[in-house]
Amino acid sequence: MRVVIAEDAALLREGLTRLLQDRGHSVCAAVDDGDRLLAAVAEHKPDVAVVDIRMPPTHTDEGLRAALELRRRFPGTGVLVFSQYVETSYSAQLLEGGAAGVGYLLKDRVANVAEFTAALERVASGGTALDPEVVSQLFRASRRHGGLSTLTPRERQVLALMAEGRSNAGIATELVVSGGAVEKHVASIFAKLGLPPGESDNRRVLAVLRYLGG
Amino acid sequence: MDEDIRRVAGTILGAPLTRRTVRELLYCGVGGLAGVAGFWITVAMLAFGLTISASVLGTVVGLLLLILALRVSRRLGALHRRLASWLLSYLVEAPPKFQPGSGILGRLDKRLRDRAAWRSVAYSLIKLPTSAVQLYAATVACIGLVDLSYPELWLLFRHHNASQLSPLVALTPLPFGGTIKIYSWPGTIPAALLGAVCVLAGTWLARAVNAGDRRLIRGLLGPSTMAERVSELERTRSLAVEDAAAALRRVERDLHDGAQMRLAALAMNLGMAREKLGDDDDQAGSAADNTATVRELLDAAHRNATDALADLRDLARGIHPPVLDSGLASALASLAASSAIPASVTAEIDPRPAPAIETIAYFCAAELIANATKHSYANQIKINILTERSGLLRLEVADDGIGGADAGRGSGLAGLTQRVSTVDGRIRVSSPPGGPTTVTVELPLRA
Repeated sequence: MRVVIAEDAALLREGLTRLLQDRGHSVCAAVDDGDRLLAAVAEHKPDVAVVDIRMPPTHTDEGLRAALELRRRFPGTGVLVFSQYVETSYSAQLLEGGAAGVGYLLKDRVANVAEFTAALERVASGGTALDPEVVSQLFRASRRHGGLSTLTPRERQVLALMAEGRSNAGIATELVVSGGAVEKHVASIFAKLGLPPGESDNRRVLAVLRYLGG
Repeated sequence: MDEDIRRVAGTILGAPLTRRTVRELLYCGVGGLAGVAGFWITVAMLAFGLTISASVLGTVVGLLLLILALRVSRRLGALHRRLASWLLSYLVEAPPKFQPGSGILGRLDKRLRDRAAWRSVAYSLIKLPTSAVQLYAATVACIGLVDLSYPELWLLFRHHNASQLSPLVALTPLPFGGTIKIYSWPGTIPAALLGAVCVLAGTWLARAVNAGDRRLIRGLLGPSTMAERVSELERTRSLAVEDAAAALRRVERDLHDGAQMRLAALAMNLGMAREKLGDDDDQAGSAADNTATVRELLDAAHRNATDALADLRDLARGIHPPVLDSGLASALASLAASSAIPASVTAEIDPRPAPAIETIAYFCAAELIANATKHSYANQIKINILTERSGLLRLEVADDGIGGADAGRGSGLAGLTQRVSTVDGRIRVSSPPGGPTTVTVELPLRA
């Protein structure tokens, strides 16, 4: 997998580079602001770009705007946005153009190297990766209490993992159950909530999020 | 005793010869005329306004006239203030500007309730008798001058044909008592004496009435102390609120860029080390390599942890230095000890000020020492802090450097001035180019 990193804190930039290289991925470029990011992606055409939201000059949302620009200009490149905070409006903006090849993770997730690289790989191959913290905020803010209360606790877990963008196989690994059990839960959820069944992984992310958003 | 009498007599008799007298008499003349005119304008407009609005048909017109009278009256008040500041060197601030209301009734209401305008009306009305006395004083002084000139005039124009012209009449200040007719040169002497007395009398009468006028202007044309205080409090309150918000933003930024970032790097390094250790059952051959890498990662993680601790410590000190709890004297001593330029502290603080004041004083001292270190090229900094008998805490930071510090030029001094003014404190900067520089901060003992 070929990766471009955009992060203004040198310590984290080097750490991420090392982390990915250790795993056998190739870091084409590691830059520290939005303009350099766009230039690097144009030059190297990586599979995925890892982008910090807060970058110079204003340290507010340069990264987010660069990420949206990347999605527009380079639809083949996945974008994984990194932030120290969860801002549900940012995730909404990112998902506006569809959920394929989009990720939004908290910086805390790098602590678990395996999960982080799995999320990155998902985004690089056109899937979705939303931080569990983002998903749980969406659940809390959702007004679909009636619908959600018809689900069993296990089904709610599966729903949350679906919202994160995981595939059935990923959900099975996470919950330590069989793939068949997951498929049964998924079908049951879709039936109870009235969602259209049989969609691909990232389309169903959108379906779930749209449902939660009321 | 003799000395004093001589000095007082000198002042009294010498008064007419000072420039101040000329300006006061000028004020009497100009101000008096303006006062009379102003009185009649105000009275006319008010009378019209009131009488017209008394009739049902004319209420609106009458009210508008009243409002016009009030607005004109404010302008007149400004004119009198300006005359006083120009001729009497007596500066009185204008009352707070008028804030119009909203909606027709609101605007009417606000205009009719404009306290500053009504106070100007009161001034204009009281100014009439005052003006009368002022004009009289000016007149008496002029009469005196004319009379004083008689001996010279006689000598210049009448000496050779004294008997052929009608007698010269000396002007008298009082409308009664007859006239003084002069037939010969020696007769001009009494006139001159009268003139001298008139000039003296006019001068001192002018001073007396102007003193009264000053009081009136201060009381009726200046901002009322209540209004002044309120607008000052509003201004400093918004400064205090913004200061607090800015401080919190700084804390957030420091946390984000400092401790949070280091802890994220720490977590990453530990995660990677964990990964490496988890690998060793399938990579027995490179166990040695793995251990070396793990050690490196753990070293890096350890550095991240100590750096994060240092960041958090600095941040905490920036919010509230623990050393302040044992008093300003020891806190300033520790500031002085860690200053790049040698600094000495003298402190006499008794009673101990409120904690908020101690915090402000501490941060002022820290900022001033930092300024001196950055800009002054000084060899020595002296810090002096004491409680004055008047109940103020005075902090002085003096350096022997090149001077040129400017409170207005966007330096930290402007920020300090703002923070100090939120507790009604003051900063005075004395920093001529070439030095030395002394900055004095005065704070109340309670916030």
